[in-house]
Amino acid sequence: MKLEVRQLVFRFPNASGNLFSDLSFQLPAEGFHALFGPSGVGKTTLARMLTGEIRGFSGEISLNGNRRVLYTYNLERLPGWSSVRRHLDETAPPARRLQAQELITEFGIDGCVDSRFSRLSMGQQNRANLVRYLLQEFDVLIMDESLANVDEFTREKIILKIKALFPERCFLYISHNVAEVARLCGRILVLRAASKAPQVVCVQGADHAPESPAPQPERLERAMLEIVHAA
Amino acid sequence: MLRRRIFQFFMIYALGIALLFALKYALGLSDYVVPGPAEIGRTASVYAGPYLLAVLNTLAVAILGHLLSIGLATAVAILGRLTAWVGSFIRTAAYNIQAYPIVAVAPIIFILLGDGLGSRLLIAAMICYFPLLLSFIGIFSEPVAEIEHFYESTQRMTWRLQVKIRAFENIHKISTVVVGSATMAMVGTIVAEFIAATAGIGYSIRIALYQSDLAKILVALFLIGVGTSLYLVSLEGLGAALQARFKRS
Repeated sequence: MKLEVRQLVFRFPNASGNLFSDLSFQLPAEGFHALFGPSGVGKTTLARMLTGEIRGFSGEISLNGNRRVLYTYNLERLPGWSSVRRHLDETAPPARRLQAQELITEFGIDGCVDSRFSRLSMGQQNRANLVRYLLQEFDVLIMDESLANVDEFTREKIILKIKALFPERCFLYISHNVAEVARLCGRILVLRAASKAPQVVCVQGADHAPESPAPQPERLERAMLEIVHAA
Repeated sequence: MLRRRIFQFFMIYALGIALLFALKYALGLSDYVVPGPAEIGRTASVYAGPYLLAVLNTLAVAILGHLLSIGLATAVAILGRLTAWVGSFIRTAAYNIQAYPIVAVAPIIFILLGDGLGSRLLIAAMICYFPLLLSFIGIFSEPVAEIEHFYESTQRMTWRLQVKIRAFENIHKISTVVVGSATMAMVGTIVAEFIAATAGIGYSIRIALYQSDLAKILVALFLIGVGTSLYLVSLEGLGAALQARFKRS
């Protein structure tokens, strides 16, 4: 089972040209992958197409049984009328409430979940929001710069934890950090302007897993160069 | 808050009186046109009691009318946030109707309903209803995408939750609009009483006008100002308490 996009063509109303022209790619149904590309190239639009929020395109998006595709982005907020912990309790399915505490601890927000969302720093807000999504039922989770404003060390710790806890799920991580995606992601979809063909280049990342030896520097360097050249 | 608003009113009132006396003495106007301070004081001592009761009467109708229009505007705005044709129809109708001066319709209301409480209440409610409705439609129709996205994508969104999110995010705006429309409710009630009613301070002002008694009108204006200020302060206090409660709970 895999996520497959075939010959996708899309243009925003009143736009002068296509955003996507004959865009095609495949992703395995499991694993932690990345969507990389310069600003304005259409990463968020593509993510919203995968969730069904944006329609009116030609081509085919085949989820192959991955029915629950969720999309989260870094500007999301939790309502301000109660604490973060209470929101997480209210929105987590009962079976996942135990996992909520584990995620809260691992993501380093234990000390602030009893506060309101607006009192948290931007990095803490993004982590709290990500915890909320991870507690939902999903097959694919698209994380659009969901770890922005979080320090590098914590980001890596969080991604490794996600990979350890949800090995059977598919994650598509949108990031502008070449080194991070090259090190931690399995496949890196490099999205390019519509004038370039193919519009998506797939690069194999080092896919560093928890409790495994660090990837060889040569391998990382090669993946990073491929990403940069493709972009 | 109370002290500030009352002080502001006293300042404006004193300024107005000073301007009036300046005109009186500069143009040599008689006491019949602009009464002197002694005459105003004498009128106040005689009429302050009955006028205070009339102001309280007017204030009660204004508060009732205001509450009525807040409830109605909230209900219609919640319906108006629908993206379906119903919502679109309500929004367009509200924009068009509010452009029509309600005061011009007031005589028709008095002809149909008579000069009792019903007409005063209806006119007070109608005058502050449309500004409230337009603000509420704007607030409840505007998605708070960065909060609502999660509930939409996990299919948890209900109309109650949507209204709660939008109301909470705009609580300060709602509070300001409600306080602002309170003055309009008071104005609406006084205008209604002035046109045709047989009670309230607007009715008293109409009689004073027929008697060309400016002293009575000045006493009435003073009491209206104090009454309105107290009502506005109460609403501001309520709004602040609600906001504080939301933030605390």
